[in-house]
Amino acid sequence: MLKISPEEIKLITKYIYEISGIYLDESKKYLLETRLNSIAEEYKCSSYQDFYRKAKADASKKIERKIVDAISTNETLFFRDTGPFQLLQHKILPELIDARAPKSSMLKTNLKIWSAASSTGQELYSVAITLQELLKDTSKYTIKLLGTDISDAAVAQASSGKYNKFEIERGLARDKLTKYFTPMGQTWKVSDELRAMVNFRKFNLMSPFTGIGKFDIIMCRNVAIYFTLEDRKKLFNKIASALEPDGYLIIGSTESLTGVCPRFIPKRHLRSIFYQLK
Amino acid sequence: MNTMSILVADDDPVIRRLFEKRLSDEGYDVTVAVDGIEAARLLDVSSYDVVITDLVMPGAIGGIELLNLAKEISIEIEVIVITAHSSVNTAVEAMKKGAVDYLEKPINFDELFLRLEKIAEVKALMKNAGDLREAMNVTENSAAHTIQALEMNNATQQATLDKVEKVLADTSQDDLDRIQVALNLIRQR
Repeated sequence: MLKISPEEIKLITKYIYEISGIYLDESKKYLLETRLNSIAEEYKCSSYQDFYRKAKADASKKIERKIVDAISTNETLFFRDTGPFQLLQHKILPELIDARAPKSSMLKTNLKIWSAASSTGQELYSVAITLQELLKDTSKYTIKLLGTDISDAAVAQASSGKYNKFEIERGLARDKLTKYFTPMGQTWKVSDELRAMVNFRKFNLMSPFTGIGKFDIIMCRNVAIYFTLEDRKKLFNKIASALEPDGYLIIGSTESLTGVCPRFIPKRHLRSIFYQLK
Repeated sequence: MNTMSILVADDDPVIRRLFEKRLSDEGYDVTVAVDGIEAARLLDVSSYDVVITDLVMPGAIGGIELLNLAKEISIEIEVIVITAHSSVNTAVEAMKKGAVDYLEKPINFDELFLRLEKIAEVKALMKNAGDLREAMNVTENSAAHTIQALEMNNATQQATLDKVEKVLADTSQDDLDRIQVALNLIRQR
């Protein structure tokens, strides 16, 4: 395995920060070596200095994309942490449906939900399943479910809607599995009905939120933990601006906005917390 | 020590006995079924790690039906299908439907043992990953509990502070009144 020197760690972590906003400190030597080694080998890099030069010089940004795919953590599962989904089902969605009820029965109810770090898609499909179960008939609604992630590979898998048996076994109850997925050999494919509800695209949370629109619910779970405090402040400030005035923000169960964004106030329901604008 | 439990379904008594002997000699916990129907009944009442089934068996439940049934009970059950050399295509079909592997007749037991070892390794890794995840969940839940309590408490304190600040900054009121109202707000917290 290609060894990384202390100077190279500085160089590479700075580069990773620039392209992804992910902040790795010098203690992450092992993580860098194990995750970047195969890319370094593929491009026949003699050192991490060389690796850096090749990545910077690559106009196609192919190496850069591979680095982001390798460095970003895609630990996720269907209905990861049941709290937020119970919150959606019993509190947030019923409230929103009331608040967004159209004046005329001819009109549809609009719901816009964003999974800001959608990884391989399980979170957003879990939201789609929750909506299906709750609404039964979705024809009276215009639902926009957007999933974004910085990793091309994660976005591609999310878009394909295909999961292997290890991914599918995690978090998904048997009845939901058979209702919303079809087996294709060793993989399971999400139903067309569910797939049609969602959209995935690549997006770097460090970039400006221009054109992203406003949302009724934003889920931004377990991603800000990889950012510096300064970047976290900027991120949640942008999220506050992308949220409808009565919208809902859900963050990771072990995350906190104390000292991060004074525009939000936490509210507790059942055993979970969600945030709304002050 | 092989701890996996295996269900073998084959209508040929000679093959059945052979499986029973070779697998139990290797230390596996083996159960045999004379056909798909008996295997289905056994699957319903007991749990198995691996099902080895002949593809073609008399009666309503053949190898493919048994495969579907096993996967319906639990996708963790691994199914190996046995096939005659001439019907490898059917075996490939079975793999598309979720079988982990296929064996051609006559059975090469050394090959079967290797495949079973691989399955056991994957199952052990899965269990290990599951244990780690469980440990992470316990830690995460406990941390979430603490953090959320702190978050709510902090929000309450902040709201009080904001009110106190507003009261104290209101110069239209008498100094002593302001202090009294501010004190009350702090005490009510």
